[in-house]
Amino acid sequence: MTVAEYVTDNPVKIGTGAILVGVLVVAAAGLDLPGAELLTVGTLQRSLQAATPIALAAIGGLFAEKSGVFNIGLEGFMIFGALTAAAVSWFIAGDTSVSQADLWVGVLAAMVVCGILTYIFALLTIRYKADQIVVGLAVWFIGLGFGPFTATVIWGGVSSPTLPNINSVTVPVLAEVPVLGRLIFDASPLVLFTLAVAIVAWVVLYRTRYGYWVQAAGENPEALDTAGVDVNRVRYATVVFSGVMAGLGGAVLSIGIGSGFTGTGATMVDGRGWIAIVAYLFGNYNPIGAFLASLLFGAMDMLQIQLQTVGISLPGSITGLFPYVAVLVVLTLVGYTRVPAAVGEPYETEDD
Amino acid sequence: MLDATVFERFAIALLSTTLALLIGSVIVAATGYDAVAFVSSLVYGAVGNLSNVAFTLRQSTMLILTGVAVAVAFRAGVFNIGVQGQFVVGGFATALTIIFLAPVLPGGAGGGVLLMILGTLIAIAVGGAYATLPGLMKAYADANEVITTIMLNFIASGVVYFLIDAYLRPAGTSAPNTESFPSYIGLPGFVFGSGSFSVIGLGVALLTAVGVYVVMARTRFGYDLVTSGYQQRAADYSGVNSNRTIITTMTFSGMVAGLAGAIFAIMILGYYSDPSTFPTFGFDAIAVSLLAANNPLGVIPAGILFGALDAGGQYIGFTLDVPAELVDGVIGLIVLFVAAPELFRMSARRVGLGGDDE
Repeated sequence: MTVAEYVTDNPVKIGTGAILVGVLVVAAAGLDLPGAELLTVGTLQRSLQAATPIALAAIGGLFAEKSGVFNIGLEGFMIFGALTAAAVSWFIAGDTSVSQADLWVGVLAAMVVCGILTYIFALLTIRYKADQIVVGLAVWFIGLGFGPFTATVIWGGVSSPTLPNINSVTVPVLAEVPVLGRLIFDASPLVLFTLAVAIVAWVVLYRTRYGYWVQAAGENPEALDTAGVDVNRVRYATVVFSGVMAGLGGAVLSIGIGSGFTGTGATMVDGRGWIAIVAYLFGNYNPIGAFLASLLFGAMDMLQIQLQTVGISLPGSITGLFPYVAVLVVLTLVGYTRVPAAVGEPYETEDD
Repeated sequence: MLDATVFERFAIALLSTTLALLIGSVIVAATGYDAVAFVSSLVYGAVGNLSNVAFTLRQSTMLILTGVAVAVAFRAGVFNIGVQGQFVVGGFATALTIIFLAPVLPGGAGGGVLLMILGTLIAIAVGGAYATLPGLMKAYADANEVITTIMLNFIASGVVYFLIDAYLRPAGTSAPNTESFPSYIGLPGFVFGSGSFSVIGLGVALLTAVGVYVVMARTRFGYDLVTSGYQQRAADYSGVNSNRTIITTMTFSGMVAGLAGAIFAIMILGYYSDPSTFPTFGFDAIAVSLLAANNPLGVIPAGILFGALDAGGQYIGFTLDVPAELVDGVIGLIVLFVAAPELFRMSARRVGLGGDDE
């Protein structure tokens, strides 16, 4: 999909984006906000960090939905990812003296565990034809219950003790480049990895044969079946991929950029899995679009700190709601775009 | 799920619950706790003595009401995951009504009844209005109601917390609580003598379940609602405006959730507080409704079962060192199993039970 095609295909979405930006500009001018202070490299950097977990889950989720399975359990898988990453790195280290290597093992473990869990989700929805939405909700409830439960068993409380997080990588010389240097060459490796995932996912989805299969599995499974490709196999693969990405997103939250697992309230994932779903809808199932939408939500997340820095005091309980309100605005203005035709329908091959 | 017979549904509900509890016990044993003590405490906590029974029924009252709210929407093919949020704003409306009108109305039993009725009616209206929002978004903007209602839950919780913390907290207190309702507000305990459970509350819940069942099964409105859920096209042909059905369904569902909020504020709390500390009745209600195959009457036994689970789980949290969160996880497992009836059918076929291959 070229840029020109995208523009002609999505007038509503681009219009919405323009209106949103316009409203923000007018609001900023009306409130006499110092725009230059709000939009600093630091803001962008923090927004990018806040966007990373959302973007990872979003890119995974969009592959699953493109192939015909609506993985509405992203939120739950993120909770399991966040918990597993913290628990495994803590266990390896033996106590809170967790090293960088331990953290990376934790990240890998979160991806593996969530991959296995989503395989069960895939079995239930694809093989046993369970309602995708209900099973997805169940995954969320199980995460909300067993997440804090497991934390209590391990640490004696619903949250983990404070853990270190993964160090930023500073590329010498390149880090000196203005703006881009700080954004990309002096950042968490997970932020860089997410950028890479977005680009690779775009290439795979739109420029490879496999990406074509994924799209066909969601649009026209019969045709793909006739062409001799096992539809359900493609679906299993994308669903497991979505779980691995959500697990990684959760790991980023707990030990990638955060400092341990928090199990209070709606846990530390706190709706980001749901926001991820909206991010890829807003990005029209395009991995790059999903990434940019995640950045928008990440920025909303960071708005509170930013408003405080420039001396506007809104209570945190209100600014904390911005991402959720943004989701509502985006969903209402953009609607459910064009869902792949066969989403939600289990596919049964004719020649058994 | 829809073509399942009543017997099948009952069997699936029973199997799901048993299987989930079994897995729960295995997890308890695997994490080094005593599984037998776990199960016996669960049972004792639920029905062991009169006050435990009262606690079970109190939780059941809430779960029946919220379960009916969920069932109304699910029946019509709309996922209202926002019952928790509608319940929160409904209860808040009740609290506001009571706190602001109590000083201007006469006190005593008469004034109390009037205030409670007013507060309940306003809660129903507010809960309904809050649920209309996602209904409108789904009908006219095609916005997925699962996501909009979940976002509205977060927003309801945040805004109510903010309002209480900033404006309704009595001066000099640090907890985000409103002042307590006047002493003449509350439902009498009768048999159980419990301060937070009243047979009247349970009665309201049962009446609501029956009333909603009658509306769904015996009225034109209910008929349209159910047909548009199961047979969208047939409903369209018979002249049912599907957009309007979505909106009225959500509103109707939210009204019941609002009623649940009123009962929660009056019968259980007696003041209002930070909603993020409230029990998640609106979410557990999803499991209740699914277990009841989204039938308002079926919600009654399912609500009582879950009330017992909840009460037993909390008792475990107090007495054993097994974390009470386990029960939330078990509830999630029940939802998972109820959602996958094929799992049971296929495994039943494999072991040679119920051989009819439709």
